[in-house]
Parts: sequence; C-alpha cells; structure tokens
Amino acid sequence: MIQIEGLRKHFGEVKAVDDIDFTAADGAVTGLLGPNGAGKTTTLRMLYGLMQPDGGRMLIDGADVGIDPQAAQARMGVLPDSRGLYPRLTAREHLRYFGRLQGVEGAQLETRIGELLDLLDMDSIADRRTEGFSQGERVKVALGRALVHNPANVLLDEPTNGLDVMSTRAMRGLIRRMRQEGKCVLFSSHIMQEVSALCDTIVIIAAGRIAAQGTPDQLRQQTGRDNLEDAFVALTGIDEVAP
Amino acid sequence: MKLQSSQILAVFRKEVLDGVRDRRSVMSALLFPFLGPMMIVFMFNTIAERQRESANIDIPVVGAAYAPGLIDWIERSGTSVIEGPADPQEAVRSREHDFVLVIPADFAEDFAQGRTAEVELVHDGSRKDPAAAVRKVRTLVSSYSKMLGNLRLIARGVSPQVSHPVDIDEVDVASARKKAAHFLTFIPMFVILAAFVTGMNIAVDATAGERERLSLEPLLINPVPRSGIVLGKWLAAVLFSSIGILLTLASVVLALQRVPLQELGVQLKVGAPEIAGILAAILPLALFASGLQVLIASFARSFKEAQTYLSLLIFLPMAPSIVSSIYSLDSQPWMVPIPALGQQVVLVDVLSGEPVGLLSFISAGLSSLILGLGCVWLTARLFKREKIVFGH
Repeated sequence: MIQIEGLRKHFGEVKAVDDIDFTAADGAVTGLLGPNGAGKTTTLRMLYGLMQPDGGRMLIDGADVGIDPQAAQARMGVLPDSRGLYPRLTAREHLRYFGRLQGVEGAQLETRIGELLDLLDMDSIADRRTEGFSQGERVKVALGRALVHNPANVLLDEPTNGLDVMSTRAMRGLIRRMRQEGKCVLFSSHIMQEVSALCDTIVIIAAGRIAAQGTPDQLRQQTGRDNLEDAFVALTGIDEVAP
Repeated sequence: MKLQSSQILAVFRKEVLDGVRDRRSVMSALLFPFLGPMMIVFMFNTIAERQRESANIDIPVVGAAYAPGLIDWIERSGTSVIEGPADPQEAVRSREHDFVLVIPADFAEDFAQGRTAEVELVHDGSRKDPAAAVRKVRTLVSSYSKMLGNLRLIARGVSPQVSHPVDIDEVDVASARKKAAHFLTFIPMFVILAAFVTGMNIAVDATAGERERLSLEPLLINPVPRSGIVLGKWLAAVLFSSIGILLTLASVVLALQRVPLQELGVQLKVGAPEIAGILAAILPLALFASGLQVLIASFARSFKEAQTYLSLLIFLPMAPSIVSSIYSLDSQPWMVPIPALGQQVVLVDVLSGEPVGLLSFISAGLSSLILGLGCVWLTARLFKREKIVFGH
C-alpha cells in the first residue's frame, strides 16, 4: 500500500507538486492521470526515493521513504521514466543484476528470472544482448528487472509510452494480472482511455495539485458527465489531452 | 539498510562483465601496455645507433695539407679523415656532409709564428643528429690545442700549470645504477601512465556511460546505498587498471632485455626484488587513479565529455616524470604521499638500487587508498544530486 500525505516539491518559483494526498490500495490499480507537466513524474520520483520532497510524507507498506528510503525501495518495483539498458548485457543478465542488487541470490533468483521471462514472453530474447532491441523488447527488460524481487508495490511511469498495439495490450494484461496477485499498482499516464480501462481509482493531477480522485463512476457523477474524457477536461480545465 | 558486500560484489561483477565485453575497455587495457615498451626498444636502439655513428665518424677536412700535425692527432685518436668538399658551406646546407673541418691556407704560417691559428668547423646548429659528432671534432681540436700549448710552455721553461690557475676536478658521486635510473625515468612514467590509461574506459562507462544511456536512474532505485554502487564501480576500474599495470611492467621488462643497455653504459638490473618493489610501489596507485577518474567522469553527461576531461587529467601523472627528466628529482619525504609523484620517486629509488624504507611503500600506498576512497565518497554524494541523477 502506498500512502502520500501533503507531498510538496518546488523548483524555484514553480510548484511542481503542491500538497498532494492520496492512497493506492493493495489489489487495486491506481492511475495518476494528468497532462504533460502536471507533476506525475516528479511525484513518482519522490516516491521511489530519488528526489527529495520539500514537504510531506510517503509510506510504502508503512516504510517511510524519507526516513528509510532503502526499506521502501525494497518494497517496490519501478519502471521509471528513464529506461536505459546496458547494451552489452543480455536480457537475462539485466534481471540477474537487479535481482542481486535487491538481495535475491542463487537458485531462488534463477527460478524467479525464469518465471519472469515466461510471464513477459521474453524467452526468445533472453540470452541476446540488448543492443538493437525494439522499443517493446526494451520495455520488457526494464519491467523484468523492476519486478525481479517480486515487489508488493509496482510503480510504472507512463508504461505504454512508445509501445505498439501488441506491446500495449501485453502491458495491460500484465497490470491486471498484478492486481489479481494482490499487488498495489500505481501508474501514471496522460492517456484517458488507458486509465479508464484499467484503473480502480483515478487520481487526476493538474499543475501540481489533485483536481479530483475516485473511481471512474464517482468522477463521472462528480462532474455530471457521462464521458470520462469530458469529466477530465472539466476537472483539469485543460482542453488538450493527448488521445 | 547498511552497506552489504554482496551488493558491492554484484555491481563489481556486472561492471567487469560489461567491461570485458567492451572492445574499447579491453583495447585500452591491452594495447597501452605494449605501446610503451615498443617505444623503449625504438628509443634505445636509436640512441645506441647514434652513439655507434659518432664513434666511427669520418671527418671531412678541407686543406688537410696545411696542418699535418692536427691530422695526425685526429687519426691517432681512431677517427679517419676524408677529403672535404670544394664548397663546405653548401655541402653542409645541402646535407651532403653533416659538418666539414676547414683548415685555412695561413694556418701553417700562423702556427709556425706561434700565433693562434684558426680552423673552421662548418655545421648546421639546428640539426640534432650530428651534434654528437660535432662535439667530438671540437673536443679533438681543442685537446690538440691544449696539448700543443703545454708543449710550447714547457719549451720556454714555464710550467703548464701557469696557464691553468684554476682547474675543475669533477667528482660525480652518482652511482652508475643511479645514472641508469635517471636515464630510465620514462619507465616509471609508462607504468604510472598505465594506471591512469588502462582503467579509464571502465571508469567512464560506469559513470558518464550510465548517465548517457539513461540507466543511472533505474540503477539507483535499488535499495543499495550510493556508496555501495560507487564502490563496486570503482573496484572494477581498479581491477582493469591493475591488470594494465601488470601487463605494462611485464612488457617493459621483456623490452629491456632486447635493448643494448651495456653498449650505452647503462647498468640496470631488473630482477625479482626490483619487480616486487615496483609492484608494491605502483599497484596502489590504481586505487587513486580509478577513484579520481570515477569522480571526474561522474560530472560528465556523456562518454565523450568524460573522455575529454580525463585525457586532460593524464598530464597530471606525467608532470613529475617530465620535471624529473629536466631537473633531477631528488626524493624528499614530503613527495612520497602525493599520488603519482610518490610512485615516481619510490620507483626511481627502487630502480637505482637505493634502499627504500618500508615506510615509503606504506605511506605511498596508504595515501592512494585514502584519496581513492575520498573520491568514492564524493562520487556517492554526487549520485544523490538530482541534477546528476536526472540531468541528461
């Protein structure tokens, strides 16, 4: 479970994240929806402990990111904005490296790697060096190394960015599967359809503040619109949402 | 969570695997060690060749008939005289001859009258190659002049000492091995350079490379203290650097066996104790060299940018060698803990056969370790900066 209270981050005069509160529950998919520049990536970066907040508190299954970031990091798997791979390592070696960094070792690690390669349908590319991988294959490797320690909380920053239709479908399947396994999935997106198709809870942010949050039905009721996209526009006051 | 050795090991193993597969890293670790010794063989053979040339020179002389005594003196010193060209200056300019000794027609007359007789030595001062031969001719003529002057004074009943109120008697206390070591200052330079060159690629790849590839952010999300990650990367660079040092030293020793050292009057003994001493002095330098490179490369956003910084850094370890080839660099206690400089003075002492105290090895090694760890600590702090983690 991820709990965020009063989170703030300023870059000079710009209030990138301005007093955000929300909770992402276990066994549920929470979508962080907002236009580009709304503060989604900044929020996630603070959550996974690489950016220092100016205020507020973040708990990952009770572990305070500000006090013990490594305990919090051990409880989450992250697909960050940067998905750089090591071109001279194979897909399997990527998973092994991150597994060891997460403290998984030996036979347990190799078993887990095997499961993930199956789950992500990566068997055919498992022992190829990642140099020359397609965008979809690269994202699979990045996802695999994020999930190698079987984290209870999964953070995905714009997971379908740059993916083709097939890869996008696979990604959605994976997110649903993780929800079934009881994981807490938090992902950010600027794509309305994606969020509405997947999420149990939607948190809409605009200009660093939460414009609204709730289930898709609650949001439709709240705004009095049948269409979630219209609701989004009404809530953020922004007409331009990428399709 | 505290620092775990298994995590440092994980980073180390990955960086070594990555480095071994990187052609650039492997090439720089393998090529450099053979480049230096090839230069040693070339340099020594050239110097020896030149010495041989200046030993058996033919001196072109114009007007040999005017000074039979001088010619006789020259020939008795084991140098042969050949007929000089018609136009000495043109011959030297066109490099037909390196130099020409010209004896003017009035030489015999001046000589007979007891006046100072003049000879001309035509040469091109801007050329380096014939310098040794020109020096030899000059010495021959002036020794002839001195010998004759003494004879004349004796003939007049004056002691030759009258014309030499002061004489310099040189007492050179440098041992033959010490001279050899000064002559061989570039051996420390090559081995010291090896510490910096051979680990450089991996230090860059593990830091600026991570930033360029956008892989630093995912890496740092793992629950590993920054110091653990940097330590692993540093140790991988240290390993490459150490292998580079070992290879360089091995090939230098092999090269020295193929060089006519005795012919040059250089006595250099590189046996097991010397090699052990060199290794003890130089291997710890890898700790500092890699640490500094990891630190500096972390400021760079790209591989190329880091290489630019680090290629400037290479002048740093070369400085003591260059200075010591101009001035003789005496080992002073304060020099020993300064990386590169300390290794230089300890190495020169080891090669000269001077006794080197255990304390010198310890303080040179320890300072490299401490400064290397200092760089690791600073890099770990850098890896916390948002500008470094996200700034690409």
